[in-house]
Amino acid sequence: MKTEKKKTLLGLLLLAIALMVSCEDELDQDPQDDDAFTVEDFYEQDSAYIKALGGVYANLNVPSPSGAFASNIEGLDAGTSTYGRSLMNLQTFTTDEAVWSYENDPGIGEVQRSSWTAENVILRGAYGRIMAGVAFANEFLRQSTEDKLNTRGVSDSKKQEVAVMRAEARVLRALSYYHMMDLFGKAPLVTEEDPVGSTQSPEMTRQEVFNFVEEELLASIPELEEPMMNDYGRVDKGVAWMILAKVYLNAEVYTGTPRWADALEYTENVINAGYSLTDNYIDNFRADNDVNGAQNEIIFPIPADENFAQAFGPTTVMTNGAVGSIEQNGDEIGVQPAGWGGAIRLTPQFVSLFDGQEFSGDDRNRIIGANNPERTLEINDIVDQDQGYILEKYTDVRSDGTVGNQLTFSSVDFPMFRLADAYLMYAEAHLRSGSGSQTQAVGYINALRERANGDSSENISSSELTLDFIIDERARELYWESHRRQDLIRFGLFTGSEYIWTLKGNSITGVPTPDFRKLFPIPNASLAANQNLTQNPGY
Amino acid sequence: MQTFKLFYLWLLLLPVSLFAQQEVTGTVTDESDLPIPGVNILVENTDRGTVTDFDGNYAIEVSEGETLVFSYLGYKTEKVAYQGQETLDVSLKTQSESLDEVVLVGYGTSTKKELTGSVSSLQEKDFTKGNIVTPENLIQGRAAGVNVTTGGAPGSGSAIRIRGGGSISASNDPLIVIDGLPLNNNNLAESRSILSTINPNDIKSFNILKDAAATAIYGNRASGGVIIIETKDGGKDFEVDFNYQMGIYDLPNKIDVFSADEFRSLISERRPGDVDMLGDANTDWQEEIYRVATSTDQNASVRGNLFDVLPARLSLGHRDQDGIRRTSNFTRSTASISLNPSFFDDRLRISLNANAAFEDNRQADGVEGAAIRFDPTQPVRDLNSPFGGYFEYFTRGNDGQINPVLGTRNPVASLVQRRNESSTDRFYGNFKVDYRFSFLESLRAVVNLGLDDSSGERSNVLSRESINGIQYSDGSFNGSAFRRDRSQRNTLFDAYLVYNEDVTDKLNINVRGGYSYQKFEAEGFDTGELRDEDQVDQSNSFVDPELILLAYFGRAEFKYDQRYILSASVRRDGSSRFGEGQKWGTFPAASFAWNLSEEEFLDESELLSNLKLRAGYGETGQQDIGSTAADKLIGTGFYQQSQPVGQVIIGGQPVRAGFPQARNDQATWETAKTINVGLDFGFFNDRLTGTIDAYNRDTEDLFVNAAVPDGSNFTNQIFQNSGTLNTKGLELSLNGLIADSEGDRDRLNWNLSYNVTFIDQEIESLANGQDIRTGGIAGGTGSNIQLLREGFPQNQFFVYKQIYDNNGNPIEGAYADLNGDNIINDSDRYLYRKPQADVTMGLQSTMNYKGFDLTFNMRANIGNFVYNNVNSSRAQFSFLRDNAVLGNIPTQVLETGFENRTPESLLSDIYIEDASFLRMDNVQLGYTFEEFFDQSASLRLYGGVQNVFVITEYSGLDPEIFGGIDNTIYPRPRTVLFGANVRF
Repeated sequence: MKTEKKKTLLGLLLLAIALMVSCEDELDQDPQDDDAFTVEDFYEQDSAYIKALGGVYANLNVPSPSGAFASNIEGLDAGTSTYGRSLMNLQTFTTDEAVWSYENDPGIGEVQRSSWTAENVILRGAYGRIMAGVAFANEFLRQSTEDKLNTRGVSDSKKQEVAVMRAEARVLRALSYYHMMDLFGKAPLVTEEDPVGSTQSPEMTRQEVFNFVEEELLASIPELEEPMMNDYGRVDKGVAWMILAKVYLNAEVYTGTPRWADALEYTENVINAGYSLTDNYIDNFRADNDVNGAQNEIIFPIPADENFAQAFGPTTVMTNGAVGSIEQNGDEIGVQPAGWGGAIRLTPQFVSLFDGQEFSGDDRNRIIGANNPERTLEINDIVDQDQGYILEKYTDVRSDGTVGNQLTFSSVDFPMFRLADAYLMYAEAHLRSGSGSQTQAVGYINALRERANGDSSENISSSELTLDFIIDERARELYWESHRRQDLIRFGLFTGSEYIWTLKGNSITGVPTPDFRKLFPIPNASLAANQNLTQNPGY
Repeated sequence: MQTFKLFYLWLLLLPVSLFAQQEVTGTVTDESDLPIPGVNILVENTDRGTVTDFDGNYAIEVSEGETLVFSYLGYKTEKVAYQGQETLDVSLKTQSESLDEVVLVGYGTSTKKELTGSVSSLQEKDFTKGNIVTPENLIQGRAAGVNVTTGGAPGSGSAIRIRGGGSISASNDPLIVIDGLPLNNNNLAESRSILSTINPNDIKSFNILKDAAATAIYGNRASGGVIIIETKDGGKDFEVDFNYQMGIYDLPNKIDVFSADEFRSLISERRPGDVDMLGDANTDWQEEIYRVATSTDQNASVRGNLFDVLPARLSLGHRDQDGIRRTSNFTRSTASISLNPSFFDDRLRISLNANAAFEDNRQADGVEGAAIRFDPTQPVRDLNSPFGGYFEYFTRGNDGQINPVLGTRNPVASLVQRRNESSTDRFYGNFKVDYRFSFLESLRAVVNLGLDDSSGERSNVLSRESINGIQYSDGSFNGSAFRRDRSQRNTLFDAYLVYNEDVTDKLNINVRGGYSYQKFEAEGFDTGELRDEDQVDQSNSFVDPELILLAYFGRAEFKYDQRYILSASVRRDGSSRFGEGQKWGTFPAASFAWNLSEEEFLDESELLSNLKLRAGYGETGQQDIGSTAADKLIGTGFYQQSQPVGQVIIGGQPVRAGFPQARNDQATWETAKTINVGLDFGFFNDRLTGTIDAYNRDTEDLFVNAAVPDGSNFTNQIFQNSGTLNTKGLELSLNGLIADSEGDRDRLNWNLSYNVTFIDQEIESLANGQDIRTGGIAGGTGSNIQLLREGFPQNQFFVYKQIYDNNGNPIEGAYADLNGDNIINDSDRYLYRKPQADVTMGLQSTMNYKGFDLTFNMRANIGNFVYNNVNSSRAQFSFLRDNAVLGNIPTQVLETGFENRTPESLLSDIYIEDASFLRMDNVQLGYTFEEFFDQSASLRLYGGVQNVFVITEYSGLDPEIFGGIDNTIYPRPRTVLFGANVRF
């Protein structure tokens, strides 16, 4: 009897042990949600590849898959962490183009006062976001190799589409590295060959980043769709040419060796690619700039949608933020009447670019303030939002005057590159290299002027086409489009004493800044996490 | 009949007391008349002895006049002088106040005398009295090393920290185990907290395991300490207990802002151009958002033996409590049933605890900030207002359209016009089977099944009359509405074997080993905004990945002669959170205790009645880094598809993009290694008892949410096992029976207990040596005030050093240029003070005299600092202008004279204040009518005050701010309460 019981007990014990051990399999868990997939499940979907490539594009606009209020880049406010916002903060707010009223928003005070440190959260966010672009592109390249496609039984026609997508991903990665080179100089080299995790990649010098970007773009171009032949918002040859044109135009800054002829060549490629100026300057900055004609001028947008692609990105900020504290002109901008209470104002130096009778009828002159006795031109107290002029450029209003229902988020696509920029680049490259056609250069400038003025009354003559003119005209045409810092650096005006604006050098009237501030510091957190990285001089 | 008093037995049997040595038989039972096996019976001053069998029966040779000593762990030793009777049944009383008190430890019990680890055990009689809403308040301030910080909202949860917690980025919450079921620390958001659904009246004891020697058996989640809660169980005696309590709540203190008249003169002095914006009213907005609130609480419980075979307890409770912030409410109804039958001659014991709780809440938004800011010269009501008759700032356009003006919104309207209600249904309990094998009496098998299932729903509706609602393009206001459901379930399967054998007279071995499986599931549904038809449908249902924790554990205890006790345990834990090869962790512990007072050299001491030395070492693990899908699948990663609002626009069409999620396949267990040395002592026949513990804990492989190399992952920051945190502490608790009534109701009995905790934490290493910013504050989007840095305590304040003039007044905008580079920027911030207290103390006094009882509790924290974010973000004169309107500010501005808030002033050390405090939590006076109505019934009436006073230098509302950042809190009310308790 006792042995019987013991046998039963033993049997039970063995059963129990078997059950326990089998439960150990449960330690391998998969996502359960209908919006979450294992990697393999994800790529089983029909539309997997465009959705995955969409993730790489989405990184330019939204901070996370759940929209505006969460971010996959940490260490700063989620809304501030978007790609476009990072470019805006570092290319626009570091210059004379704009002043941010709420300096208690972390990091922005240092950014607009040229007193940033390697701890600055906006810099950390920008560095992380731009490199995340590299990581997302690498993941797409990793998941779309010939081997993977074969294993998953992807059809031949689909494979051809994926080949184009791979080229797009490489261009987007090159775009990220172009931004890294421009802002931080150096960058870690991470490719699809590296595993996902915490690899400390080697550092590329600015020259090496330059070479990488150039090679990648040149290698991708043959695979890309012809200009304007891909879906709006996707990369085509025109986009790759434009990035190359930018890289060559600034080559002297990046490497010490000018590449004006190449800049001219690729600018010409862009100009001749079929893009056209839209009739009204301001249509480029409206809620329907993806369909109102501006889509033919915009070479590469960051598409935004007030409903489906919500972000506190550049156009959301530059609509809500543009509303004046006194004017309460939100209705005209397509946001709540009071907007953000006067978040963005202008330095008097920027306002002066539009001084003179010749700009009174210029459609690009959107400045408000001169007629308002309560508003002053000068900013003496940053906290007083009634000081400094304001402007209306981006409006979340459609060309027919209607406004969407969502009054906070913007539907204005941010024009990262547009044809007008290429026109100005051509003129500059022509002036600097001496090659190309002066007639064409002047013609391009006057095309912009005629559009702005409605007639040829303010056209320039060939003798007026100088570099000094170019830098100012670029500001008048392209302000608030995240070009200004790069342009000022190329013209030697960003640091030093030659050009001074309000808040420059952490002074309300502006003081000279040292040259090391042409580059931002590598964020301390990034330096610590990747021991191969080295700090930029001066920091 | 069963509780025949021994006294009567003696009397009855006196005449036959002349017999010589003879055999006596009998049964030893407990208070519920259940037989107690294994009771030691000794004839005093002889070596004759025996133990009771499984049915509690014994037989022993004894002579008249000799004394029999019945002793059993956890029970009061009974001495019975033998008078010659044939049978002698003895009923043992449970020890309530001695070293033999039963203490729950992981997967078993122990006694105070035999404990080798650091454990604080609090029985019902030790609990804090008063207005106890949630169970953790029963032990607030009562145990050294245990801090409970409770919010002011009705039913509000608490931050519980045992020994300061040992983690940085991972959870610092202790593991709470109710009747063997470890709870999920992430409560349903529809409920106020994980403990708010639990009726404090159902709790029998709290056992707080503090050092790793005690907690390691719970390995996987034990790094933050373990709190074992035991609920009351069924009994054989019929008992009824009824409690009624009512409370009246009031605001004890307000934030100092300018009164309407002061505000008027301030505006005319400083902003003469804005005088026309002033109103005619005199409104104290803080008065307006609060109210005097009441609560009622009723509990009834019945204990008895159902059908004479089923010991059972049934308890019902209902609490209805309004909060002092207008509209807030907490209602809880609970029912619990406990059955404890035993079968086959007590060989099989079953216990079933089933609890149902229904919690309803109405949440009131935190409008304190608006109440501070709102212009006191404006009225609450405005009969012409289109916003439900509440005063608001707006303009009318030419077309009559109403445009809200940017400024603070009427806080009273914000409260009244929002109905944010949630309800939670929770069912939890366990079913435990304890079987003693017939062929091997020393061996038991225990199986415990647990379930904790909560489902909740919330409806949050803002009235169409509110200015805060969605405004359609036609100008109409449409309020806001959304609903959501949440549910989560936690299931447990534990099975273990216990082998307990007295190897020799003196050596006892107790070995147990088992298996534990726990699964956590969660899902939910959100409607998104329902009042805006033009918006994207954001409704979403989600299912979280399951979290599986499983473990094998074992413990062996060796007890020799009541003098030496050695205990060793090991637990091997697996978590589904981690990736391949990183899932498992092993957590060993060993401890030793030496009962010095049992040694001959101390045995005779008059002064010293008890002395025990304890020492132990153990390791515990932590894996709780959060409850999101990304946290639960950190080891493997996955693809997340865009939500409707986070899509990518391709060719003008929204596309649900696929985002690879960040992953860390190296993530694994965080491990805390603790050494603990303790001394338990008793003087004067245990009238003065106490415990001293000293410990050193190193948390290694600390989870830190730290930077990853940019570009290597799909984020720039992820949880990594990188860092070490050291915690040292000293804990002392003393309990003194100052006056001993010796059971005489007419004499004074006065018990005083005191505990003090010293704690010192330092981050020894941190991922890549890189500082980590923490402590988000108001006043700038994403600003941080605190910092983690190697070589410093956690979360010190990272601030600018304010410069003062010769008169000691701060100079606005002047900060020390600490790095001397002539620029004041982030590099000039320094670490200053910390939010954690260096010393915490608790004191409880209980006096009984002639039916009166008087109890009070006090707590003190010393060395804790608070960042006064209320002042730093508002107390500047420029805030007299609030966008387009006027706004009030805290009067602290008069001390600084600051005009503007700048990024630097926001982070000035002038706003770091000493928040040390002494608080009287509770005072209560009661009177008990014995033999009320019936001989066996009693009635106790009592009244008391909760949150009696706080003594502090802190200038804000309340110095007790968990985390050290005060940006307005739900004020802790002062409560007056009355109650009655009937028992029979």
